[in-house]
Amino acid sequence: MKLITAVIKPFKLDDVKTALQRFGVHGLTVTEASGYGRQRGHTEVYRGAEYQIDLVPKVRIEVLCEDDDAEDMIGVIAKAAQTGRIGDGKVWSVPVDILVRVRTGERGPDAL
Amino acid sequence: MPLFAEARSNLSDHNDVWLAGLLGPASRVALVAVGGYGRREMLPGSDLDVLLLYEGQDGIAAVADRVWYPVWDSGVGLDHAVRTVAQARKVAREDLKAALGLLSARHVAGDENLTQALRRGVLADWRADAPTRLVAVREQCQERAAQFGELAFLLEPDLKEARGGLRDVHAIAAVAAAWVAPAPGPRVRAAYEQVLDARHALHELTGRGLDRLVLEEQDSVATRLGMLDGDVLLRTLAGAARTISYATDQALRQVDRLGVGRPRRFGVTARFGRSSGPSQAPPGGRSSPSPFREPLADGIVVQDGEVMLARGATPEQDPVLLLRAAAAAAQAGLPLAPRTLSRLGQCPPLPVPWPASARDALVALLGAGHAAIGVWEALEASGLVTGLIPDWERVRNRPQRNPLHRFTVDRHLMETAAYAAGLTREVARPDLLLIAALLHDIGKGWPGDHSACGAVVATDLCARFGLPAADTALVVAAVRHHLLLPVVATRRDLDDPATIRQVVTAVGTGGAPLLELLHALAIADGQATGPAAWNEWKATLVADLVRRVSAALSGDRPAGEPDQPRDDLLALAAAGGPAVFVRSGAAGAPGTPGLACEVIVVAPDRPGLLWQAAGVLASHRLAIRAANATSAGPTAISVFQVVPDFGELPDAALVAADLRRMLSGRLDIAARLDQRAAAAPPPRAILVPPPKVTLIDDASDTATVVEVRAHDAPGLLWRIGRALGDCDLDVRAARVETLGAEAVDVFYVTGPDGAPLTTHALRSRVTASVLAALGGAAGR
Repeated sequence: MKLITAVIKPFKLDDVKTALQRFGVHGLTVTEASGYGRQRGHTEVYRGAEYQIDLVPKVRIEVLCEDDDAEDMIGVIAKAAQTGRIGDGKVWSVPVDILVRVRTGERGPDAL
Repeated sequence: MPLFAEARSNLSDHNDVWLAGLLGPASRVALVAVGGYGRREMLPGSDLDVLLLYEGQDGIAAVADRVWYPVWDSGVGLDHAVRTVAQARKVAREDLKAALGLLSARHVAGDENLTQALRRGVLADWRADAPTRLVAVREQCQERAAQFGELAFLLEPDLKEARGGLRDVHAIAAVAAAWVAPAPGPRVRAAYEQVLDARHALHELTGRGLDRLVLEEQDSVATRLGMLDGDVLLRTLAGAARTISYATDQALRQVDRLGVGRPRRFGVTARFGRSSGPSQAPPGGRSSPSPFREPLADGIVVQDGEVMLARGATPEQDPVLLLRAAAAAAQAGLPLAPRTLSRLGQCPPLPVPWPASARDALVALLGAGHAAIGVWEALEASGLVTGLIPDWERVRNRPQRNPLHRFTVDRHLMETAAYAAGLTREVARPDLLLIAALLHDIGKGWPGDHSACGAVVATDLCARFGLPAADTALVVAAVRHHLLLPVVATRRDLDDPATIRQVVTAVGTGGAPLLELLHALAIADGQATGPAAWNEWKATLVADLVRRVSAALSGDRPAGEPDQPRDDLLALAAAGGPAVFVRSGAAGAPGTPGLACEVIVVAPDRPGLLWQAAGVLASHRLAIRAANATSAGPTAISVFQVVPDFGELPDAALVAADLRRMLSGRLDIAARLDQRAAAAPPPRAILVPPPKVTLIDDASDTATVVEVRAHDAPGLLWRIGRALGDCDLDVRAARVETLGAEAVDVFYVTGPDGAPLTTHALRSRVTASVLAALGGAAGR
């Protein structure tokens, strides 16, 4: 099993959700996140005052899936989240050892 | 639902019989029911709260085992104690919770004389220690309210602990037991039974002793109580809780009157000390309530920590008095006295459209922030809000089924206005922000999109409030689009020019003033909704959107340019002056005839003229609502709209004479104002946002614009002007406006060289000295 994590622009959340639903994903976790990547923080001037924007608001999505689906799912997310501009975000996957569905106690892929 | 009450008392009786059987024939012991069991209010999930009283027995442990073990074995929760009368009294004296439980002690079985001795003893102790015990009760109520919130406005309330819940009624009963306030009346008893029935049904349905009425149980509890659905249930509970909260406040206020451990508000003692030595309350000690009445506003006084009507006030003839009293109370952070509330009910309805003074009072009330909420609740409890805002009826106690919201719609509107009061320095029109905050969700009383409905209702209400068309348009647009910024910021691509264009189009002719209103409203709305709706993450996104839209809006915000003087004044100026006119009733709003007054000063221009004139007016206890200063050639024309702080207008001839003495340099204004400060109205006890000073360069080619936003205070214009004068600045023109209790003052200034301010050092000195002048005001 794999845990896929994507950090994307907030307004792309709906597109990514729709794409994942079409792909057959039943559940995901969304967190409000902040960070920066290659675009770094930037300074803006607003009404004479300088604002340092260090951390840009992002959304983090986490989905669990079977090993075989990971590659495709990352592709689906990346495609849906893309605007082509800087700050589009990242998608990655990590292996998952143990998975339990809390309600039933099911383990492994059965709990997906 | 008498069935529930019957079931509760039946269960108590059943337990009485059972326990009596367990105790059997025994001398010199008694079983006493305390707490809810003592009140015969046994719910399905209640514990048995029992005290085994005894005297001088060695074998008491065996007796206790005989009673407790069967109860434990039956699985019923048991809260038990074994004590002598003296021990029980000692525990009650030391532990508030135990004392409150023992106040409802009831004999169940055994030696009734023992129970009677306990009851008499506990009550005697309670009455003897009332001053300290009741203060502890009050503090406990306040702590519970802070921890559990208010039953009436929460969507998942704790029926027992929340403010307006069951424990508050027990607190009233405890105060009554000490003969300090009357026992809960029939309305409070009925409200109590309603809340208790809901808790009863909740226990039955869940099979557990739950006190929090969670969303998923609300519909089934409602059905069990014979109500249509959860919404009806929550509305019923909200009404009951409001009755209880109000009665609790009344009882606790009687506790305040005992005068012990009472927080002295805004240094009342210090003020007494200054004005009249003998009436000074001894520091920290017991003091009888002072009958001293301090004037607070026109027709309104403070006595003993409550806001009341002055002796000469005539509610029957003064429609604005209701709002004025509410605003004065909120601004002072004090409650309205109950008798005053009922007298305010005699105020005739406000004429439609409202006079300016009523609108001002509404804005001042809302501008008091969270202090306004208690005053508003008092108006609600007296049924006075609907008379002011008929559409309020549709949102009162209205629950909202949505995981983000914590409060009912009406309370959410008040909470939003309270948070908006903290943002009044961020907008050019604090009055419109506060009104928009009060109305933003008013459309939730109607079916359909609440923003669209709200815009329609807001249009009506703005007409009722008597707002000018341009202001109405701003408020209505703010209500219509109050979700625009948060929705776009979180769901649209801010890098896409089309997104920004969409917002610019929606903002339309409202321009920058509307955008800043929408921004402040979004923040206040989010904060009032709860942490799930507003956080740093969302704030950053919305601020980013506002920056981008602001840059795209053509033109900068107008800096409130001074009006051109009227022709008659220009003619006077041509004559060169000096001339002073004081015209009473010139700007008199309908409903307050003769209370407003226009003061005109025409004189050869010289630095400091405007603020010195303002100082003279302040020394006559005139509050400046608006001022406009311009010049025609070498002559300065200053026009002030003033209202007296208290009732009667000072003699116009005296004011004019002082202004002439000022013009000829024969008046020490500073000394005069210092004298007056000793008898000034009480300083604000509420938290207000700090003043804000902004220097704007692109509003004028020949001058720098200094914009000051601050909470209004006596002599404000004098202090700001003097600070500008201390920096060797010349005020070429000015426009001063007081909106409710918020002042927005714009000064066109030039430096010592007659040019706009350019050096960084001078600019920061100007900001610092104006802020320092205002900081001194806040502390006074």
